[in-house]
Amino acid sequence: MVMVNFRHPALLIWLLFVNSQLAIAEEAVADSAGEKNVWPLAVAAQSLTEDDYLGEVPKVLTVSRLSQSLADAASAVTVINRETIRASGIVDLPEIFRLVPGFYVGTNAGYVYNTNHTVSYHGMTTAYSGAMQVMINGRSVYSPLFGGVNWSELPLAIADIERIEITRGPNAASYGANSFFGVINIITQNPSDPAGSSVIATHGEERNEVFYRNAGKLNNLNYRVTAGYRQDGGLDNRNDFKRTRMLNAQADYQVNVKNGLEFEFGLADGARGEGNINEDNIVFLPRTKQIDNHYALMRWRHNVSDTSDFSLQAYHSYARSDDQTTSVNILPLLPAFAPFLAVDRLHIKNEVIQKRTDIEAQHTFSVGNNIRTVWGGSIRRDSMYAPYYLASKKTDYFDLQRLFGHVEWRPSEKLTFNTGAMVEHNDFTGTDISPRASINFKPNRNHTFRLGISSALRTPNYLEEKFQDRLLIPMTLPNPLGVNALVVQFRANKGNVNPEQIISRELGYMGKIGRLQLDVRAFSDRINDVIRFDGRTDFTTPVNTFLLNPLLDIEADSANNMGSAAVEGLEWQANWAFSNKTKLMFNHAYVHIRETQPDLKRNFVNSMPRNTISAMVTHRFDKNWDASIAYYQTSETTLLGDGDPVDLIRKCDVRLARRFNGRNWNGEVSAVVENLFNNHYQEFADYNTLERLARVNLRLDF
Amino acid sequence: MLSNTYKNKRVVKLLALLALISGFVPFLAQAYTGVTVVVSAETPVNAEFVESFKEALASGKNGRLRVKVIDLQEVEKLVVAENSELVVALGVKALEAASKLKHTTPVLGVFTPLPTYNNLLVSSKRVLGNFSAIVLDQPYTRRMALIKTVLPDVKNLGILLGPTSSQDSELLKDIGEKNTLNILQENVTQEADLIPKLQKLLDSTDALMAIPDPLVYSRETAQPILLTSYRHQKPVFGYSQSYVRSGALAGVYSSTKQLAQQAAEIAIKSQLAPSLLPPPQTPKYFSVMVNYQVARSLNIQLEDEDVIYKKMLGLETVE
Repeated sequence: MVMVNFRHPALLIWLLFVNSQLAIAEEAVADSAGEKNVWPLAVAAQSLTEDDYLGEVPKVLTVSRLSQSLADAASAVTVINRETIRASGIVDLPEIFRLVPGFYVGTNAGYVYNTNHTVSYHGMTTAYSGAMQVMINGRSVYSPLFGGVNWSELPLAIADIERIEITRGPNAASYGANSFFGVINIITQNPSDPAGSSVIATHGEERNEVFYRNAGKLNNLNYRVTAGYRQDGGLDNRNDFKRTRMLNAQADYQVNVKNGLEFEFGLADGARGEGNINEDNIVFLPRTKQIDNHYALMRWRHNVSDTSDFSLQAYHSYARSDDQTTSVNILPLLPAFAPFLAVDRLHIKNEVIQKRTDIEAQHTFSVGNNIRTVWGGSIRRDSMYAPYYLASKKTDYFDLQRLFGHVEWRPSEKLTFNTGAMVEHNDFTGTDISPRASINFKPNRNHTFRLGISSALRTPNYLEEKFQDRLLIPMTLPNPLGVNALVVQFRANKGNVNPEQIISRELGYMGKIGRLQLDVRAFSDRINDVIRFDGRTDFTTPVNTFLLNPLLDIEADSANNMGSAAVEGLEWQANWAFSNKTKLMFNHAYVHIRETQPDLKRNFVNSMPRNTISAMVTHRFDKNWDASIAYYQTSETTLLGDGDPVDLIRKCDVRLARRFNGRNWNGEVSAVVENLFNNHYQEFADYNTLERLARVNLRLDF
Repeated sequence: MLSNTYKNKRVVKLLALLALISGFVPFLAQAYTGVTVVVSAETPVNAEFVESFKEALASGKNGRLRVKVIDLQEVEKLVVAENSELVVALGVKALEAASKLKHTTPVLGVFTPLPTYNNLLVSSKRVLGNFSAIVLDQPYTRRMALIKTVLPDVKNLGILLGPTSSQDSELLKDIGEKNTLNILQENVTQEADLIPKLQKLLDSTDALMAIPDPLVYSRETAQPILLTSYRHQKPVFGYSQSYVRSGALAGVYSSTKQLAQQAAEIAIKSQLAPSLLPPPQTPKYFSVMVNYQVARSLNIQLEDEDVIYKKMLGLETVE
């Protein structure tokens, strides 16, 4: 009995001094001296065992998941994170690239195929800018048709994006085909990060959106499903509305400590406004077309050892655009032929089906602490069914195989060498090689200087290699006369276009001075064998047809390699945290483009604003309120491919947000005003006039 | 949790208490002649422990102690020569089984987390003098010393506490203060809060120190925690070798050999007074582990593990 009495004070003191069960124990013991009150303790935390300390934990930050530190990176890299995306208040993904130095973004550029944002880096901007690699979680999404990205058709919700890494400069060695001017690498959040459900709704002028997402965990499977509907009224004077339904699903399955599987699936469909009455009021009139996209991806990640990872991925994507148009009555336009025309209106069926299947294997490993290597290979098949554009009902195939390798070597803390190359073989241009090399010198942790040279090739896309689009106007002339159709030929590609080549030299600096972070890049790029369109007359139309081009004064174009260009300049980004609450991001790029061969038609000297500036200040007032203000400025441009001369643009966006927290939910309400001062400016071309837009956004996580 | 600063004071008090208790214990065990190592299963770690333990005993001066191994899987009921043996229990299951032995049989737990040891101490109604442990938990002082050694610029250190570890909240703050670290903490009460709270923490801290807690740090949560921290470009300091290997920047740990050495020292020292086992203690010998791949990716320049270890030893002796 005595012993029992003493055991408790002993326990009490032991617990007081040592124990991590302090609070509970104190209560239990202080409550009464009764023994049973102590018992619940044993139940409280029995689950911590030696396995929690000694057991194996799956390797999370594997060699392949660890990216190079920006200080070791072979190129200039801008990282846009979730917070920046949120603060910018954007609803269209490509708008975010206005915050990347040297980038140009044009709203609803172009009027053929789709009204779509154009995103370019360092010029040669067309509505269909196709000289950049764009990837979402390792899946290449640029279109083989014209090389660019149909941004609005991506089954991707902005809310699911974790971060975007933008490589400024060619980097074919790491990212493959089309990594010509730069690389955009979009990385979504880990499935189930965070778990739970969210509803995100936006309502504003010309804009309604609603997304629902649910993420969670089923044993070793993490998943996320996002479904949404987006309605964009487009610009006032254009037929550029977009209505999109989308669904995206991602899942990770941890098979065991060494192996993981990842799955992705997405689809997007809807209607698009198409046709620009100012450009064409006869044939391609304003109309509505349907789009239908989907993709599926599977990846196996295998952790070979502490220093070695292997991954194998395969994906398939499908994009269909069903565009049908009927012209005005053409009889009055062609009075001489009118009696013999079989139809009075032309009906054009422009269905395009693009498919891509890609399999890639990649092996990442490190040798000692100083050498890290990635190498791998991929095979790809793009298929193209576009009877109108290719003047053939046959599906065309484009095969591409590549091998790539990259080595990072750090002989000392102060030096990093990067070198790599890609060898590519494709159906259009044969075998090409794109090498690169750079040295990073780091006098200390806060300063890095980088000297690099990189070369990349851009394979012509279908528009440049194979387009043969034309109008065929059937006639009723009796056969012996030999003519049964009239032809208006738009493009008559000769094919055999050589790849465009870029050789990019750069000097970069990255520094941290107190609360200021700087990224400066001086560059000198040479672009050889520039692909551009030129009129031609030496082509043949189908037998028994009569070519109208000379009568209508329309040239039939063919892409050729002509001349070269020099792109030189300086760009920089400053991130300055005035305090924990107030931050500034400032970007400026000066880009000077020179033609090295005079007298070329539509030269690209003005295909990029000479100066682009963007800045964003974010401020957090307290736990609940925060605001941001962004400013964008581009100097005058004359952009290529559907572009026109436009003036200096100044635009200012503001955003104000308040968070709410409930017991089982969190929420945020924000208001955004785009183009606050309502400057009626033209962007990309004179047919795009932008005005002030306001919208509110609600997000609820539960 | 134990810490060096508290140690001396505590030892004195405990010894005084134990002396008092022992006065009332009707039967005081005799000096033991052998050691029984109880294992829950035959694993490489356990085998390595037994091997190292034997070696360390052999190098001691106090003659020979027999070492016998009992595998719980092979016996229906744990039976030991209760008054002439020191029982060294490897792991929680073994310690639990050993805790049911006669109360006068001295039991030393190894490979046991501190909270679990505490629970067993209470539930078995044993007394400290014959129920002790070398816990797996490294002292917070040592862990913070590592952080200050490798990243002297760290000012705000984040900790994510769960139901088990939240008891250490005040202790962590105190030790943090002594190491010029401002401890910022978030308490997680349900799994769904884990990542949102972590994100909140990462926004305002320079580094994260992982504290063992079944709800917060487990095999399943390693991926989201390490990936989220990495995306915030914030280093995590792990509490085990496997956590460092998985993606933490660095950590202190004690190898099996080091724990066996410490256990052998206790066995030798207490041989003549079996009911006066030293109080539960944190690992005496330790090693430093650094994940250089992670360091490089975070652009953190780190010295060799040996150099860091020596610097830390210097700090510990100063204290």
